Amino acid sequence: MSTVQIILIALFIYLGAIGSIVGNTIGWYTLGRPLVASFVVGLIMGDVPTAMMVGIPLQIMYMGNVTPGGAVAWDLSYATYIGTAGALVFGKGMGTTEIIGLAVVFAGIGGLVGQLMWNVSYALNLPLNRIANKYAEAGETKKMYIPNLVGGQLIGFVCRFIPAVIVLTSMTAASAQADFASLIPGWITTMLGVFGGMMAALGMGIILSFLLKKKYHIAIFLIGFILVTYFGLSMMGVAVVAVLTAVLYFVVVDKVKVEE
Amino acid sequence: MAKKISEKTLKKSFWNWFFWNGCSQQAESMLGMAFGQAMAPVVDELYDTKEEKSAALKRHITLFNTEAQVGSICNGIVCGMEEANANGECTPEIISSVKTALIGPTSAIGDSLWVATIIPILLTICLSISQANETMSWVGAVLYLVIYPLCTCIISWNLFKFGYKSGLNGMQTFMANGKLDKLTDTMTVMGLLVVGALTASYVSMSLPIQIVKDVYDATTQTTLEAQVLFNADNMLNAIFPKILPLGLTLVVYHLYTKKKWSPMKLMGLILVLAAILTAVGYAFGVYA
Repeated sequence: MSTVQIILIALFIYLGAIGSIVGNTIGWYTLGRPLVASFVVGLIMGDVPTAMMVGIPLQIMYMGNVTPGGAVAWDLSYATYIGTAGALVFGKGMGTTEIIGLAVVFAGIGGLVGQLMWNVSYALNLPLNRIANKYAEAGETKKMYIPNLVGGQLIGFVCRFIPAVIVLTSMTAASAQADFASLIPGWITTMLGVFGGMMAALGMGIILSFLLKKKYHIAIFLIGFILVTYFGLSMMGVAVVAVLTAVLYFVVVDKVKVEE
Repeated sequence: MAKKISEKTLKKSFWNWFFWNGCSQQAESMLGMAFGQAMAPVVDELYDTKEEKSAALKRHITLFNTEAQVGSICNGIVCGMEEANANGECTPEIISSVKTALIGPTSAIGDSLWVATIIPILLTICLSISQANETMSWVGAVLYLVIYPLCTCIISWNLFKFGYKSGLNGMQTFMANGKLDKLTDTMTVMGLLVVGALTASYVSMSLPIQIVKDVYDATTQTTLEAQVLFNADNMLNAIFPKILPLGLTLVVYHLYTKKKWSPMKLMGLILVLAAILTAVGYAFGVYA
C-alpha cells in the first residue's frame, strides 16, 4: 500500500467508528458496515471486485454486530477495513476461499486493536465531564460544543487514526517480506470458513439478549426461524410477515386491554 | 409575550444531536454531554440571565442514553418542555423526570426497530443485490450508502419535530394509557421474527461426520464405490432443519446473558469449536 492509501483507509476507519465527526448514522451504521467498508477499501486500493468478494462474507459474518446500550461487542469499523485491506495486500494470486480466509484473520486482528482503542477512548472521555460542568456552571451556551465535539473528536481521532496507520504500515511492510500465499496450509482456510459461518451466531445471540424479555418470546423467534427453514421465505418475505404481524399484534393487545 | 423556539434554532439543535450524539460517550453520563450540546442553542434562545442558562445547561449534561436515531424524539420533547418552562408552564423537575423516563422506552424501541430490524433487513436486501450481479457487486454497497443515511435522517428529523409539537401533554397521555409499552412490545415481536429469520439464513454450522464405504451389490454383482452410508449432518437436518446453527445461537445467547461471558470470550469458544469440527471433518474425510 502506498502512503496515501494507508492514510485514506485509516481516515475511513476513524470515520466509520462510533462517535466520529460524521455521526453514527453516516459513520458507524453506514461507513462501518462491512458491505460499504469493503467497497470503500476497493475504491482506495483500485480493486473493487476483489474487495466486494471478501466484503460479502464479512457482512454475513458480522450481520448481527450491533451496539445495544452502547456496549461495543466488536469494533466493526476496524475489523472490516483492516480485514479487507489485508486480504487485498496479502491475497494476490490466491483463490477465492483463501482470500476470504485471509480477510477473516485480518478482521480478527483489526477488531482486537479496535476493541482495545474503544476502551481507551471510553476512559479518556471521562474527564470531559469536568469541562462540561465548568461551562454549564458559567452558563456558557456558546461553548457547550467544546467538551463534546472538540474534546470527543480529538480523543476519538487519536485513538483510531494513529493505531490504524501503524497496523496498516506494518501490514504493508510484512507483505514485502514473504509470499504468504504459499505459507497458509489448506486446513487453516477450511477452519476459517467454518469459523466464519459460526461467527454469525455471536451477533444474533447479542441481538437476542435485548429482544428476549419474556419466556414465550423464544416462540416468536422460532417462528421467524422456521419461516426460512420450512417455508423457504426470503428475508424480504419475512420482513413483510413481521410488519403485518406487528400491526395485528398491536391491535389485538389494544383490544385485550380494553376488555379487561 | 410567550417565548417560542425559532425553526432555525430547532434545526441547529437537531443537527447537533444527529451528527455528534456519540462523540463523547463514556460511562459517567453516557450521551449527557452530547445532549447538553444539542440543547445549548435552545437554552440560549429561551433564557436571558446567566443563572437561568446555567441551571438549564446543568440539567441537560446529566446521565442520558438512548438509541440516538429514534431517540431524537426525546430531544424534541425536551425542547418543547424547555419552551413551556421558559413560559412558566412547566418545572425543571418535570423536565428531568420525563427525560429519565424516556431513556428506557426509546432505547428499547430504537434497538428493536432500528438496530435489530431495519438495518439487517436493508443490509440483506443490498447484500442479495450484490450477490446477484457478480460483475456489478458494488451496486448493493452504493445503494445502502445512499438509502440508509438519507432515510434515517428524514425519519429522525420528523420524530424530533413530532416530539416538539406533541410536547409534554401528548407524551403524558401516550405514556399514561400504556400505549408506549404496547408499542415497545410490538416492535420486539417484529424484531424477534426478523432475527429468527436472520439466524436461519446466515448462521451456518454442520457436523462433518460421515461413513463412506464401497458396497458390494449382490443383485448386479458389482461393487459400488464410495457410497455414503451415514451422514450425521443430513440426519440432524432431517429431524429439524438447521438445528445446529439454532443450537449454537441459543448457547451463545445463554452464555452472553446468563453467564455474562464477554463477546471476546465467546469468539474464542467459537474458534475452538470451529477447530474441533474441522479436525473431525478431516478425520472422517468430509473435508479433503
